[in-house]
Amino acid sequence: MNEIRVGGMRFALDLSQPLYEQVLEQVRSSIAKGEIALGEKIPSVREMAQALKINPNTVMRAYQELERDQLTETRRGQGTFITTDADKVSHIRHRLAEEAVEEFLARMSSLGFTAADIANILRAKGGEG
Amino acid sequence: MTVAIKGAGITKSYGKRRALDGFDIEVPEYAITAILGPNGAGKSTFMRMLTGMVEPDSGTLTVLGERPSWQNNRRISYLPDRARWYQGHTVEKAIEWGARLLPEFRKDEAWELAGSLGLEADLETEGMSKGQEARLMLALCLAREVPLLILDEPFSGIDMLSREKIVAALIDSFSTRRQTVLICTHEIAETESLFDHAVFVNDGRTALAGSVEDLRAERGSMQDIYRRIYG
Repeated sequence: MNEIRVGGMRFALDLSQPLYEQVLEQVRSSIAKGEIALGEKIPSVREMAQALKINPNTVMRAYQELERDQLTETRRGQGTFITTDADKVSHIRHRLAEEAVEEFLARMSSLGFTAADIANILRAKGGEG
Repeated sequence: MTVAIKGAGITKSYGKRRALDGFDIEVPEYAITAILGPNGAGKSTFMRMLTGMVEPDSGTLTVLGERPSWQNNRRISYLPDRARWYQGHTVEKAIEWGARLLPEFRKDEAWELAGSLGLEADLETEGMSKGQEARLMLALCLAREVPLLILDEPFSGIDMLSREKIVAALIDSFSTRRQTVLICTHEIAETESLFDHAVFVNDGRTALAGSVEDLRAERGSMQDIYRRIYG
């Protein structure tokens, strides 16, 4: 998997998983990480498809989903822009954090650790927990 | 899903050999569909049927709602698996020829495509590399404003840079116009990210078909599936 940079955003696509979900997730996380700023213009469908070497329909589908989540807005004749609403971005950050924690907890529980074990390990690792 | 090409129960034999043996296919409109499979699977026979060059022994086939015929071919832009040029032609003359003979041919677009595909006007068709030939044929095909584009083995045996230019031209063209695209290929490593829909052909029948994104979710990459079917 090669990393591809498009503007400030980074992408790494795995052809064995649906591409539309990956494009969507990776744009979302670019927004959450601030790789792309509030109000910034994102590449057109054609530019993104060209950079990632994927079907424009796939990019379009991901962009539509971003718009539905109100993370982007399309201005007629000007293109698509990241929202200027900081609350929406902090909401996304929160959701990504929750997902990361859920993944971590699921893995720990599959390894046989209890909630108390996990809390102890976190405290020992992080110090200030 | 509106269907641009529909085939049902198609059979075709050459002597004792069955090239197609109850072949079913549906190609959705305004999508890029790939027909995948190794040589001898029946792909080429089917491709020739689309323009009426080969008739099925039995079964039904409609292309853009009509039975294949030379009349229907004016709505189809077809990239053959082998190039043939007039003697003494250059890129410029080939474009002139296209403008005079090919229905719905947009000359200004052909020149734009030739430029982005890295073809000089005075390049002679005689002695072109396979990659240059493929690029010129693609420029002539993409310059036509028609509802159906068919590409027969557009990537086989050509150099990597030509291949990349072809992929880029296809993405550009598909971004800007509503067209149904059908690509027949046995080379999927670098091209599978372009497909919306895939049809795997094996022994003259459809082994598997569906939306590429659904197939990825259920079974992995097209390359993985290809290995499992034909490996």
